Amino acid sequence: MEVTMDPLFLAWSYFRRRKFQQCSDICSKILEDSPYDQAAWSLKTRALTEMVYIDEIEVDQEGIAEMMLDESSIAQVARPGTSLRLPGTSHGGGPTPAVRPMTQSGRPITGFVRPSTQSGRPGTMEQAIRTPRTASSTRPITSASGRFVRLGTASMLTNPEGPFIHLSRLNLSKYSQKPNLSKTLFEYIFHHENDVKNALDLAAQATEHAQFKDWWWKAQLGKCYYRLGLYRESEKQFRSALNHQEVVDTYLYLAKVYQRLDQPITALNLFKQGLDRFPGEVTLLTGIARIHEEMNNITSATEYYKDVLKQDNTHVEAIACIGSNHFYTDQPEIALRFYRRLLQMGVYNCQLYNNLGLCCFYAQQYDMTLSSFERALALVANDEEQADVWYNVGHVAVGIADLTLAYQCFKLALAFNNDHAEAYNNLAVLELRKGRIEQSKAFLQTAASLAPHMYEPHFNLATLSEKIGDLQSSYIAAQKSEDDFPEHVDTQQLLKDLRQHFALL
Amino acid sequence: MPEVKSIFREVLPKQGQLSMEDVPTLVLCKPKLLPLKSVTLEKLEKMQLDAQEAIKQQELASRQTQ
Repeated sequence: MEVTMDPLFLAWSYFRRRKFQQCSDICSKILEDSPYDQAAWSLKTRALTEMVYIDEIEVDQEGIAEMMLDESSIAQVARPGTSLRLPGTSHGGGPTPAVRPMTQSGRPITGFVRPSTQSGRPGTMEQAIRTPRTASSTRPITSASGRFVRLGTASMLTNPEGPFIHLSRLNLSKYSQKPNLSKTLFEYIFHHENDVKNALDLAAQATEHAQFKDWWWKAQLGKCYYRLGLYRESEKQFRSALNHQEVVDTYLYLAKVYQRLDQPITALNLFKQGLDRFPGEVTLLTGIARIHEEMNNITSATEYYKDVLKQDNTHVEAIACIGSNHFYTDQPEIALRFYRRLLQMGVYNCQLYNNLGLCCFYAQQYDMTLSSFERALALVANDEEQADVWYNVGHVAVGIADLTLAYQCFKLALAFNNDHAEAYNNLAVLELRKGRIEQSKAFLQTAASLAPHMYEPHFNLATLSEKIGDLQSSYIAAQKSEDDFPEHVDTQQLLKDLRQHFALL
Repeated sequence: MPEVKSIFREVLPKQGQLSMEDVPTLVLCKPKLLPLKSVTLEKLEKMQLDAQEAIKQQELASRQTQ
């Protein structure tokens, strides 16, 4: 006779091996036979939660509404070095835009994207609305309409019999009395259903039942308030949770609140407090490095990333950021070592091979360059990535003076991503070399309108217009170029010449 | 290769003005290192993609039943 395993034990085993679908299926069967089996019910909620679980600390998506109608910031015009919104105010010896490309918000591009830093913070409403068109990710109207909702509805759609738990029929106060069920239920409501209001209700009742002594519930309340945009309430809950029990997570959540309130200095102090309690904690060090990076203080960011690597020498984010910093400070050989280290660690994707290709080329290791780019092209996941890789291949072609290949590469980049402003600009330069002035001018104008934050198209347009005698347009374009990159010497020279010319008239 | 005599001699002007004209040239945009993606971001994108696929499948199925 065949001995069958106890189904609940099997389900647990599946859960531990992260086979959540199987686990949830078995639990469903158990629940069909005995609908009041609390163990199976709780395990199923946990399995369903784990399927869609994402680290709440990492996720931070700011919608247009939160950004433009922001009432929580203290000063509209912050003093230099105290705000995340004016990236240009503190120059920590970072490279100028002449060497390092900028993102839309005027920050140097990072070596690592996180959900929160994906598109930066645009300065005006117009820019904010324009962002979705040019960035590879779309910005939601509010964070409530962002990915969270889409994920929530999707998880329901895949379930043909309807949702597992009908939240509206749930007696929350009954569950809040049972500590062994309420925590899994909360996580299910928060992560799987994305119903923050019900989650908040449950957390509030549960913390009352725990006589306001359980730090876990307070941290969860803080998370709910954060999602609802009530940052001050959220801050209170996290502070109170920290009084009960010092946990690294709570420090990270609280710092996230301060970053949203645009108080980077407070966040930095908090991280340092956390480091006193938990010396050498990698996530706290990374947090500090990220803030420095966002405030455009690349030198200290790199220092902190190095500290991170002293604790954890396989930290992908730190390696990537230090590597990209070396690349843009004219040390591609060292950058190459960092990216090779990532490759050894098993990171295997299009971005890494693209970076390796670029580093190899600029470190004069020509044998590896093209094969790296070939691999990158074989690994691309979407059209935007493909465009970026072709754009970089175009640079290699410019470097070896194969202008025909370069022309084709930039054209390909544009074929894959019609909004690739850098490719438009470079194509314009190549067109001008061929003597096609009108074409070149058209490309430059497109590039300037797609990416007003880059100084190159403005400057090129100014130079071109000055050559063909259109001094007025030249002056306007040069002024825009000066706005984007005030220290650019050639722009200054051009403006000076033009002013002199106008004075003579 | 110490004994190879160079045919070319360097020319260092001892008198007269040395002038150099600085011609403004057009600038190319710089090569772009692609940022790596965090695990969370990759998971988010994967989940979103899966969800879109699932919705597509369901829509197809419902269309076929109609």
